[in-house]
Amino acid sequence: MKKLWVVLMLSPTFSLVFLLNLYPLVRGGVISFQRLTVFNLNNPRYVGLANYETILRDPNFPRILWNTLVWIAWSVSLQFIFGLILALLLEKPFKGRGAYMGFVFYPWALSGFAIGLLWSWLLNGQFGVVNDLLVRMRFIKVPIGFLSDERFAMMSVILVNVWYGIPFFAIMLLAALQSVPRELYEAAQIDGAGFFQRLFRITLPYIRPTVVSTILLRIIWVMNFPDIIYGMTRGGPAGVTTILSVQMLNVVYYRNNFGLASALGVIVTAVLLAFAVVYLSLLEKGEFEL
Amino acid sequence: MKKKRAGTIFRVVALSLYLIFAVFPLVWIFLTSIKPATEVYTFPVKYFPSRPTLEAYRYLFSFARFGVYFKNSFIVTVVSAGLSTVFAVMAGYVLTRERFKFREVLVLVLFFVQMLPTYLVMIPLFTMFSRLKLTNSLVGVITVYTSFGSAFGTIMARAFLRNIPKDIEEAAMIDGCSKPGALLRVVVPVLLPGIGAIFSFCFVNSWNEVFTAILFLHSDHKMTVPVALYSFVSKAGIQWNVMAAGLVVALVPTICVFAFAQRYIVQGLTQGALKG
Repeated sequence: MKKLWVVLMLSPTFSLVFLLNLYPLVRGGVISFQRLTVFNLNNPRYVGLANYETILRDPNFPRILWNTLVWIAWSVSLQFIFGLILALLLEKPFKGRGAYMGFVFYPWALSGFAIGLLWSWLLNGQFGVVNDLLVRMRFIKVPIGFLSDERFAMMSVILVNVWYGIPFFAIMLLAALQSVPRELYEAAQIDGAGFFQRLFRITLPYIRPTVVSTILLRIIWVMNFPDIIYGMTRGGPAGVTTILSVQMLNVVYYRNNFGLASALGVIVTAVLLAFAVVYLSLLEKGEFEL
Repeated sequence: MKKKRAGTIFRVVALSLYLIFAVFPLVWIFLTSIKPATEVYTFPVKYFPSRPTLEAYRYLFSFARFGVYFKNSFIVTVVSAGLSTVFAVMAGYVLTRERFKFREVLVLVLFFVQMLPTYLVMIPLFTMFSRLKLTNSLVGVITVYTSFGSAFGTIMARAFLRNIPKDIEEAAMIDGCSKPGALLRVVVPVLLPGIGAIFSFCFVNSWNEVFTAILFLHSDHKMTVPVALYSFVSKAGIQWNVMAAGLVVALVPTICVFAFAQRYIVQGLTQGALKG
């Protein structure tokens, strides 16, 4: 009786999860050994490791890996630093804090793709308002092609990603900051500790578990977040903003080569699994709470 | 004392600057959407339209058929978010209240699935669904979104349910209430804020999903709003005031949901629903 009840209650969620999330992950592995395009959907041909060979032989592939690394490192570290600053600024309650948080945290609810499109207009090389402001403030003389100039494109997409991700970090860190026992601060005050001493000796060590888990999750998430880049540059110009996930999307949408895209997907999944194992084992060890 | 005041001034200035930085892009896209076409492409930029106009919105909903896309998005989002919420409460309930084999494993599976981005599984889903003739159909997209929604919804439901004491159901069951009865009549009313949060979360994620939708929905009358925006980019001759209007239409629903459920969403985020 209890068994039937448990199974009935779990079956909608878990049949969907197993059938539409986990099984496709395995199926993607199988497809990566096939030649499969939109045109032979129903009779794929096994081609062994050919798709992986294509990827590894691609002279651009090392560049794509490097771009992915640059994208993750800058995005996550800047999101963390500014998120922490924002959380510290918001720590002491003040009148209107709730409303303020609503106004600055709203980007969390917005589509990354739409945010990318939106910023591509703000950063437009001819008519963009960012260029206009920079010219007016005499920082530059002629407009910059933020998204069309190979020197600026990666920096631009990263900055937009930082804009988008600060609220998430701030929310997580603010919640953690509020869990730090007040007595610790009082003791530090008596000992005459300054702001930075307090931050590095008390606050950060105390919230370390949240910091570790949030950064780890964020790395996984940012690696798999082609949305903003797709809205802004689709990986261009000349591939300078192509990260792994963007490359996979381009192979799907432009080359319609599902086999090749799946091989890229397997590579992404392998990296993701490595991170997931670390994260989940930290969870198991009770490093931080579920 | 002086030091404290300097600190306060610094705080006010820093927070004000960040507020401008956070809100300006949205204000700008709105201003662009109410400019007449002639004032969009100027440099130096014209900051305020000389005469605000809705012509971009009119174009959007007539020639660009945005009404259809909006309706599709709305159906897909509300149905998948609704189903996800129901499934999530069911699964979350037994995961917190019953002890059984593999319970911990199932929870870990949910956390793992959280990390899977949609685009990673969309190709196999596309081949599976094309065999069932469910690509290019809203039903197919709804099914996919529900699978993602119910997984992270369950994690959220679990977090909310753990804060509800077991005694209230036990009391109801002593009074002769069955298990499903206790869930529906006793737990659900207490859980309403949590249910609102789960629904909002699913709503935001489904409304914003773009990559599966691009792959699945190719005929014009099936497109959702993000797919339409995607196709705008490739279409030559779409003016930026029209694009801006499209973006405003795409962004407003989730901003409303966020304004309505902000407190609960923040709670859900920090309690372990991981999609940021």
